[in-house]
Amino acid sequence: MSAWHDPATALILLPLAWATLAFVLGPGRGAWMGMGGLASQTLLAVILARSVMQDGPRVIALGGWGAPLGIELSADGLAAVFLLLTQIVALVLAPYSRDYFRARPDLQRGFWPLFGYLIAALNALFLSSDLFNLYVTLELLTLAAVGLVALGGGRSQAAAAWRYLLVSLVASGAYLMGVGWIYGLTGTVSLTDIRWFFETGIPPAAWLAGGLMLAGLIAKTALLPFHFWLPPAHGGAAAPVSALLSALVIKASFYIILRFSLDSFSPLAQAAALPLGAMGALAIVWGSIQAIRTPKIKMLVAWSTVAQLGYLFLVFPLLADARALEAGVMQAVAHGLAKAAMFAAVGVLVLSNGRDTLAGLLGAAHHAPLALGAFALAGISLMGLPPSGGFLAKWLILEAALAQGAWYWAGIIILGGLLAAAYVFRVLKLAFMLPVAGDGFVQPSRTLAWMAMILALMSILIGLRGVELIGLATRQ
Amino acid sequence: MMAFDLLLAAAIIWSAVRALTLRDAAHAVVLFIVFGLLMTLAWVRLDAPDIALAEAAIGAGLTGALLLDALGAFRRMPPAAGTGGWTRAIILAASGMLLFAFIHALLAMPYGERVVLPEWVAAQVSQSGVTHPVTAVLLNFRGYDTLLEVGVLLVALIALLAVAGSGNASRKTAVNPMLRAFASAAAPLGILAAGYLLWAGAHRPGGAFQAGAMVAAAAVLLHLSGRLPAWVAPGRLLRAGLAGGLLFFLAAGLFMTDAGAYLTYPPPSAGSWILAIETGLTISLGLALAGLFLVLAGQGRAQ
Repeated sequence: MSAWHDPATALILLPLAWATLAFVLGPGRGAWMGMGGLASQTLLAVILARSVMQDGPRVIALGGWGAPLGIELSADGLAAVFLLLTQIVALVLAPYSRDYFRARPDLQRGFWPLFGYLIAALNALFLSSDLFNLYVTLELLTLAAVGLVALGGGRSQAAAAWRYLLVSLVASGAYLMGVGWIYGLTGTVSLTDIRWFFETGIPPAAWLAGGLMLAGLIAKTALLPFHFWLPPAHGGAAAPVSALLSALVIKASFYIILRFSLDSFSPLAQAAALPLGAMGALAIVWGSIQAIRTPKIKMLVAWSTVAQLGYLFLVFPLLADARALEAGVMQAVAHGLAKAAMFAAVGVLVLSNGRDTLAGLLGAAHHAPLALGAFALAGISLMGLPPSGGFLAKWLILEAALAQGAWYWAGIIILGGLLAAAYVFRVLKLAFMLPVAGDGFVQPSRTLAWMAMILALMSILIGLRGVELIGLATRQ
Repeated sequence: MMAFDLLLAAAIIWSAVRALTLRDAAHAVVLFIVFGLLMTLAWVRLDAPDIALAEAAIGAGLTGALLLDALGAFRRMPPAAGTGGWTRAIILAASGMLLFAFIHALLAMPYGERVVLPEWVAAQVSQSGVTHPVTAVLLNFRGYDTLLEVGVLLVALIALLAVAGSGNASRKTAVNPMLRAFASAAAPLGILAAGYLLWAGAHRPGGAFQAGAMVAAAAVLLHLSGRLPAWVAPGRLLRAGLAGGLLFFLAAGLFMTDAGAYLTYPPPSAGSWILAIETGLTISLGLALAGLFLVLAGQGRAQ
């Protein structure tokens, strides 16, 4: 079997190849190659998911060496779910991006190569089974994401990208320092090899290492109080970039924390579970309040990301219940689809009236009904109404919390849903008012609104396929 | 040597503190370069000549050149407001706690049963195609990491190009004739040294990253002496050169696929493959590192 027949390796190499070729082609080129690559990658992700479902997880020893000398990839159910989510969101956003940048050609220099490297980094990260290799994938991810935020080079965007870069580099540094301690302690950086080490007892150096890695990873995930870089970076970027960042990039560092907690670092993670849950609860409340207060529509969506990330961290104190993990996966997928839809829809609204304030939304129901519909459907998933994916996720956390008698988490989940309703209806109320006379609207390409609608529909319908998705995620 | 090591450690800490606390940015940059050179010595003392080479070429050399170039652009701007007293106090307290935790963890370090990677490397190095263990790890055992790292450097340059916008690279500054003469002699020597480092990597410290840094240093020197223009928007040939090393590495890995595992070097020809891949990487890494400097140089004078 060659690497072409191994879908896991191909999912890393293919975007790496098309991104590099897109760079050689030149600024603004590479859209068709990207779309072709992403279509093939989606197929590969489906093939991988099917093979994991049928034959169980696979370990791929790159270079034929195997751990601890070489690097191993681990294609299991959890990785398969995140790979599927990434390819599907990216595939739908690709035609969106092409048409969006046709309307804003000033913003697209370097978009396609950076997009490709971003996806390659995500795929490599989800598959990696090596602490140092994870650091390399995080670096690739960070630099591609920062480059995407800075596209176009406006002054405020450059400042947001700069802040994002600094936070990310400090976070990467903390993670790498932790990896250094683990290597000093165990002599290896392979995730499977360090597993046995913590079974006999945890020396202070391991606590230090775990703390450093966790601090770096939560700063990259923008969990409160490390959330300050996210709203300007996600709220200021071009619409397809905001969608990619909010839907996928911040999930990557969450995925690493989840994977570590479930496996090699579980004794350490138990100690951090309660603080993580508490920060998640604060993030839900504070992010929602800011989303209700902000006068800018893209900032509203970005603050909503801060809030929705909070739910992901409520999972950690409840991991004793199997439903907590299922809830975390479901929330990551549902939020990924809904938030990509929401940023895509808002991108259409902003293009059509030329302003990014909420007041500019007056009359949007008349001139951009499809985009507004996508926004509303995505909002349903964020609020957690049935039958959406967001509903299933929040229901599962609620059950896990009540089964363990942790009613306070349940209270937070319900409060978060109400607050989400408040900021979603803030937008819908204005959009259904009559437009101010004399306001001009442009009609952007129809593709844009349709792609937003496809993502929004998926965020609802995934709730109906939750059993299959959870079955895949927990396939051991 | 104990006294020398202690003195070196003290000098490293002193240069780091000075670089951070000096008000004058130009002095701080000079101290940063001094810090890099002292670190180079430290790596030599730690028997890590590969890292010493990289530290000297990239940590002190290229980064120093980048910082000096940035200084030129900043000179016309008003000084930024300093960090607030409270922020400083918090950062200091956090650093102090971290230092304390490091010392505590180090003293309590258990040296029990652990994986000894150098033994694994030593056992397999004969199968790797090269005799220098660092090159064996970077290109063969953990070649996949290196593949992604090359991508990281290219992404950094692409991001920089995306941010830089369209500047005007015309730079009309008088060049010191001494510098011009020096560059004429030093740049070809730099390329020659790069070739040597590339070749040497198979059996002693050296390799593509160090060789690429030499290529970049030669390019920077040629730019400073007015013989090489700054970059605004690289043409297709240049882009192909920047991407070529990564593309060849990717393709070679696919060609060397055995039993489903990517990048499996066949032992008999592994040495030739590694040399070919490193040659491509030297060119691309050299161009990318030079690009970081040349793009910024085009920007600094644009406004």
